[in-house]
Amino acid sequence: MAAPAVIHVAVFALYPILRGIGFSVFRMNLMQPWLHRFIGLRNYTDALSDPAIRHSLAVTLIFTAACVTAELALGLCLALLLWADNRFNRVAAILMLVPITVTPIVVGLIFRALLDPSFGQIGYWLCALHLAPPQGLLGDTHTALATMIAVDVWEWTPLSALILLAGLKSLPSDILDAAAIDGAGACARLLRIILPMMLPSLFLVLVLRVTDVFRTYDIVFAATGGGPGDSTNLLMLTAVKQGLQFFDIGYGSAISILMTLAIAIMAALIILVLRGLDRRYSAS
Amino acid sequence: MKRRQAMAVQRTAICLALCLFLAPVLWLIMTAYEPSRAIQSTPPALWFRPTLSNFAAIAANFNLPRLVLSSFMLSAGSTLLSLLFGIPCGYALARTRSRSAVFIAYALLAIRGVPTVVTLIPFYLFMQKLGLLGTWWAVILMNATLSTAFVTWMMFSAFRAVPVEIEAAAVIDGCTAFGAFRRAALPLVQTSVIAAALLCMMFAWNDFLNPAFLTRAETRPLSVALLTAFGGNTTSGWGDLGAMAHLSTLPIVAVALLLNRYLVSGLTRGAH
Amino acid sequence: MKRRSILAAGLASAATVGLSHRGWSQSKPFDGMVLRLASCNDQFSPGLKALSARFKQETGITVIVDILGYGELQTKLTTDYVGHTKGYDLATTDNVWAPQFAEAGYTVPLNDWMKRDAAEMALDDIYPVLFTALGNYQGKQVAFPLAGYANVLAYRKDLYAAAKLQPPQTMQDLVDNAYKLTDRSRNQFGWVANGQKGAACAQDWMQYLAEIGGVLVKNGQPVIDSPLNVQSLTTYRDLFQKAAPPGAVNWDWDGREASFRSGLAANMQTWSVGALGYFDPAQSKVTNSAALMVTPTAAAMKPRYGIGGWGIAINADIDDRHKQAAWTYIKWITSPAIHIALNELDACSFLRRSELRDASLNRKYPFLPVIDESFTHGDPDFRPRVPQYPEIQDILGTAVNSALVGAMTPAAALAAAQTQALRYF
Repeated sequence: MAAPAVIHVAVFALYPILRGIGFSVFRMNLMQPWLHRFIGLRNYTDALSDPAIRHSLAVTLIFTAACVTAELALGLCLALLLWADNRFNRVAAILMLVPITVTPIVVGLIFRALLDPSFGQIGYWLCALHLAPPQGLLGDTHTALATMIAVDVWEWTPLSALILLAGLKSLPSDILDAAAIDGAGACARLLRIILPMMLPSLFLVLVLRVTDVFRTYDIVFAATGGGPGDSTNLLMLTAVKQGLQFFDIGYGSAISILMTLAIAIMAALIILVLRGLDRRYSAS
Repeated sequence: MKRRQAMAVQRTAICLALCLFLAPVLWLIMTAYEPSRAIQSTPPALWFRPTLSNFAAIAANFNLPRLVLSSFMLSAGSTLLSLLFGIPCGYALARTRSRSAVFIAYALLAIRGVPTVVTLIPFYLFMQKLGLLGTWWAVILMNATLSTAFVTWMMFSAFRAVPVEIEAAAVIDGCTAFGAFRRAALPLVQTSVIAAALLCMMFAWNDFLNPAFLTRAETRPLSVALLTAFGGNTTSGWGDLGAMAHLSTLPIVAVALLLNRYLVSGLTRGAH
Repeated sequence: MKRRSILAAGLASAATVGLSHRGWSQSKPFDGMVLRLASCNDQFSPGLKALSARFKQETGITVIVDILGYGELQTKLTTDYVGHTKGYDLATTDNVWAPQFAEAGYTVPLNDWMKRDAAEMALDDIYPVLFTALGNYQGKQVAFPLAGYANVLAYRKDLYAAAKLQPPQTMQDLVDNAYKLTDRSRNQFGWVANGQKGAACAQDWMQYLAEIGGVLVKNGQPVIDSPLNVQSLTTYRDLFQKAAPPGAVNWDWDGREASFRSGLAANMQTWSVGALGYFDPAQSKVTNSAALMVTPTAAAMKPRYGIGGWGIAINADIDDRHKQAAWTYIKWITSPAIHIALNELDACSFLRRSELRDASLNRKYPFLPVIDESFTHGDPDFRPRVPQYPEIQDILGTAVNSALVGAMTPAAALAAAQTQALRYF
């Protein structure tokens, strides 16, 4: 039953990816087709030895860790709030998804506008009350990254909330009822019974968000362009710039493939850790 | 009494969260009724005389029904295809004991994690070869590769929570293996299917780079038109963007609300 | 208001079909042909869209105008050219892409056709500088001028009068005035420019640099960290910190233009293409006090008015008949009558001397003499027109922004930029 999915992905994703990997071992700038030649792993070594890319990697890792943690925690809170099955909660769960329907570039534009210290409905008042730096939250190297994290959390917390909610709703009710009869306190029930049973959904959210957040582009591109200075310059901004703006598709692909490797490693780590947890819980 | 209080606290918290999630979008929607001199004024205008001219502007410049149709086709197409591929795949992976299952699941995820920079240009040339460039199909196929992995994983974790015994019982009752999947397992994960469908729909609906790249003027969806409405660098397009945001937000929310009654707990519906 | 007038004008122009261009309406050699035009979503694009109905009536050629954002347009076009996928027959082409497209041979050189049709097209009516600036690379005309923009200084007459100041003659005047016109207590600022990292801040600083005589590329080599350049970036940073509205370090064109229209900024150097908005009461609070003048330069320097805008180019991959039809469209859209019609549709993009003297356009655009002066003495090279331009712009986009937000000193930022730029030469 897995065959259709595997075939589809192999044809329409794997084939382009393999071609992309092919590009990455060439010196290949689409604007200078006469200079194309095979250079082995030069693009990769160039990327790994570029201090700007290393800085971007650090920024991206901080961004990813902060966003995913916050989205997981807040998503879980929301899912628990919306767990009870009634009309109010069902409608609320849908309305909560509105941020996801907005194109991420537009999300970036909205928050740039709202946080602007001169024109923004939020930024102006924050600055007037001296709660934000004079150039605004997005104009100061100390606050810009944290602000972009908040924007990402705003857009994607509903996603983790919905996945976790679906996980909560598929928990077998008899076990929960039994726990309630046992008289376990709410906290204990959450930690000892609900969370362990939720591991698959938690894992799903973790892995999905890590892979997606690590590749964030649109919201940051639209809101700060990677600035001020280098403070929000995520890796994906560099990859897109090299590949789709300078058309150095060889170098751009190499950076992207390194990113994929990083993502794969992180996903593998998460899988290992959660498997260990899973075993511990099922053993006890 | 205590229960009612807890309920009130819960609902207040939900309402507060909703406000946070909705306020920025409402602000965007509101700009549609503002003349542009009010949108960017300082201090920010709290009051303005509403106008409908932004709607007239987008109606004159865009083929709005066509944009909405394109968005729906892309969204529905990607969602259906992803569910069609992803649900059986997730089920198969959850039920098999073979090691290759883990590998497939992991590979699907890794492929989803490849940045578009790598795939966009090869995919574009591939679609050209197939004669699909500029059609809805190009975007649907592209989105479906990404969303299939997503659905597979979501269903994988959902089916794993369903006890195998339920299907075993169905098989004893005379169901085929596929029948057991369809009649016994699938209804139990209804919430996850609906949640996956909703999220797929929204991923496709808000997707920008793929449709911008793979469609033409006639097949362009709203997500791309939003940015066109925002306009070039020199004039304020906030009002047009806000007007367009009505179309890009309200229909999808309406569809989601229609689906919301299926967002119920799986096991409460007499599975045993 | 702006877009509704487009609709009205589009209908009106459809009604007057055939009056102006008998030549085309009589014989229609390309009847039934479809051309795809990729257009940047700039001020002229709604006009291009509206006029294609009229072109269809006159020639039988359908032009589908596909409007895209700047980044998408660039990516899509390049992929189309590289993959030889013939997705577009025609494309608006940014002046800074021309060197690369020319070197790679992606667009059709138009020199022979221009020579052949020079009289018919009244080419000497088009400002010569626009040919150079909007698509000429080492003699090859790889894009035909479509929309010429001049760098101008927008300023507030009322604030200048209230402060008893004269509009600036030199850059030093402009800087001095910027400080004098800044009054935080009244939320009024003398200076504004793009500060956002990337193309936004790089382009505005390059304009400023050119006006004080700074050079970025000399004899084919980058000279980014020259003492004059460092000095200019220091002055520029101080202006941002002391005389610009809060948030300017993260503004691109949208925020910068809004700051002038909303009355926050007293001076702004800008592309002329946005100027119509200052006089539109729906958009602007300064309709009565805004004025445009040519950009100042350093004392004792020859005027260097920055010229930018868009050319229109033909895809080199399409067949000859489509190329000829595309050339027909270029001739038509840039012809005097049609280009005036385009500007009646708010394009604010100019090409021809006759156009800038047109009485009705002068009523619509109360600043055409400034544009005429800028085009007459324009400088197409205020941004280095070299194939490495995209990389230089990007490097400066980081360096200038880092200096503006205080993350680096101007000297350190430009030294780092110089080191990076050397890699591309």
